This record gives sequence, structure tokens and C-alpha cells, in this order.
Amino acid sequence: MTDSETASGVFLVSAVGQIEKAHFPNFDNMYCKYVFVCGPDWEIVTGIEEGISQIAQKSQDERQLVVWNFPLDVSFKSTNPHGWPQLIVSVYGLDTFGNDVVRGYGVCHLPLVNGQSSQKITMFVPESSSMLQKMTSWLTGRRPEYVDARLLARGDGREVTRVRSQGCVWVNFNVIFKDFHQYGFENGN
Amino acid sequence: MAELFIVGQLCSAERFPAKSLFCKWSIHAGTNWKIISGHKEGQTQVDSPSYDNRTWWCHPIDIHFASKGIQGWPKFHVQVYHYDSYGRSEIYGYGFCYVPTTPGTHTVDCHTWRPIGNLRDEFRRFFLGGGAQLKTPDFVYCGTDRYRLHTEALGTVRFRLNVIARNFRRYGVEL
Repeated sequence: MTDSETASGVFLVSAVGQIEKAHFPNFDNMYCKYVFVCGPDWEIVTGIEEGISQIAQKSQDERQLVVWNFPLDVSFKSTNPHGWPQLIVSVYGLDTFGNDVVRGYGVCHLPLVNGQSSQKITMFVPESSSMLQKMTSWLTGRRPEYVDARLLARGDGREVTRVRSQGCVWVNFNVIFKDFHQYGFENGN
Repeated sequence: MAELFIVGQLCSAERFPAKSLFCKWSIHAGTNWKIISGHKEGQTQVDSPSYDNRTWWCHPIDIHFASKGIQGWPKFHVQVYHYDSYGRSEIYGYGFCYVPTTPGTHTVDCHTWRPIGNLRDEFRRFFLGGGAQLKTPDFVYCGTDRYRLHTEALGTVRFRLNVIARNFRRYGVEL
């Protein structure tokens, strides 16, 4: 047993990857935004925390996929795995009147094991809570949306929301750790 | 002290009689375990899926435990409720599952059940909703008084859990 396994030290998590594609049966011409949210002990070392993709149209074959091929490249440092970074993806599209309308929000954790992995994130939109609001949102064309999508990384306060899942996004990650095992953490690798 | 980090999501549910569902979850551990940070219970959003056959909650879970002994390994309790078109919620299923003892990434499926009452209760439930529910949910995770219950199978709840263990080996515990 060495001293380093008991002491707390800084470890690094580096992730490269891409937001590959999406499948939304009912919508077209969409773009996505991403943001990484992490706990108080975490800090971004290199890379950009948030980004916004191009507007993509569906493929003209039977797959009906929206391909973004949008790069992710970010490194974090921390002393504590609690508050592990989460990727929040929000997808927007244009409706028939040219308004930006949210088509889905999704959230996933950065992989906790190193190596290559692919995740399918189901996307959902908040729904109006009452019939009257449903009606006004239909008339005005303004759909309910989250003021701040970072809310999704938190587990509390969700009991009041009603959502509808209506699509999914595929994200690909390659994760590299530095000094993680040195401080006594075991993640099955 | 040995530490255990549980990071993941309460992902989804399937094979329930209706799809507009939400879930109340909590994590319980023995007296040797202490929660250092993170929420130990929560309630998911209500999802009415229009994409596939599953109800998606994507509810984040991030809990940090410190442990003095492995007795009372942490387990999740779930209660799945149906949210109907009148805004009422009724219990659909109870279940529990242990946090995997292997560090790494796991998909954990938790099968759920509900108690069934007598013929009159079931008749009433069929037309009005509601139905029998447990007065004390202790039955769910304690095996001693279960023999008095008559239950019916319901759907499954899926967790995606990542387990990170720290310093267990130092105390001779091999995970």
C-alpha cells in the first residue's frame, strides 16, 4: 500500500468523440446544442464546454437519419468522481413559420470506463401542464421549453414536469484517464 | 474508510399496462454506510412516449457512499406510478435491486410487481383504477412478511449504473 492510494489527488479525464446522428420520425431540418455540466470539484482543463452544430436535413433513404458528425473534445480534472460530467444535448428545428422550436432534450454521463463507447440518448420535450396552456401554445406556436437545459443534470425538481419522448441521438465517446487508478479508484478496467 | 461511487441513470421502463408513467426511487443501505453527497431519493418526470415502446425518464443518479463494512450493501427501491389522463396517479409496481458489486458499467433490470386484492377489489380496479397498494412499503425489501401477499407481475425498470470503488482492497475486500 502506497501513500498515494490514500491521499486525494487530481486525476484527469479526457474525452474525444462526436455527436453522430439523430432519428426523429416527425421532424426535419434540425440542429443541436451541447453543454457539459459537472460537479463542484470538477474543472475543464482544455476544450470547449458548449457548442452548436449546423442545420442538417434528413437522409433521403429509408434510414431517415439526421447526421451532424459534430466533434466533441474536452478534458476535465477533479479529485472526486462525484459530480461526474454529463453531456446535455438539446435539438432544435424550424417549424413551418420559421420559428425555432425545441425538438428534444437529452442527457447522458461521460463514460466512466476508458476506451471507445457509443451511447443512444433518448430525447424528450416538456409538455404543457394544462389543457388551456396546450391550446395557447398551439395558437401562438410557442412550445414549452426549459429556461436552462442544465437543469436536466440535476436529479431534483423533476417531479413536476411532464415530458414526451420523441426521438434519439447517438453519441460516440473515446475516454482516456490519467492518474485515476493511482489514487485507489477501481472502475472495472 | 472505503468509498463507493454510484453514477448513472434511472433510464426507462417497459411492459407496463400503460405508458404514461413516473417513478419514485430511493437508495437504502445498512448502518455501516453513510451518504457523503448526492441525493438518496427522488421522483422522475412523467413521460408519455411517442417514439418507441419504452417510457424514458433519463433521471440522473450520482451518489457517494463511505462504508465501514459491507453488510447492508446499497440497494435501490422503486415504485412505478401511472399518471392517467385525469391527472390521477395510481401505483403500478414495486421493486428493488441491488447496486452491482462489480466496479464498472452495468445495465440493471428491476422486475416489479403489485399486490392483488380479492375479486371485488380487482373488479373495482378494472373500472375505476387505483387498486390495492401496500400500507407499509417495507414488504418490498424485507423478505420476512412476504408470504402473506398475493401479487401480479408488472413491467421492468432499467437502470444504467457505473460503480467506482475506492480502497476496498485495502481492507481485504475484493470486489
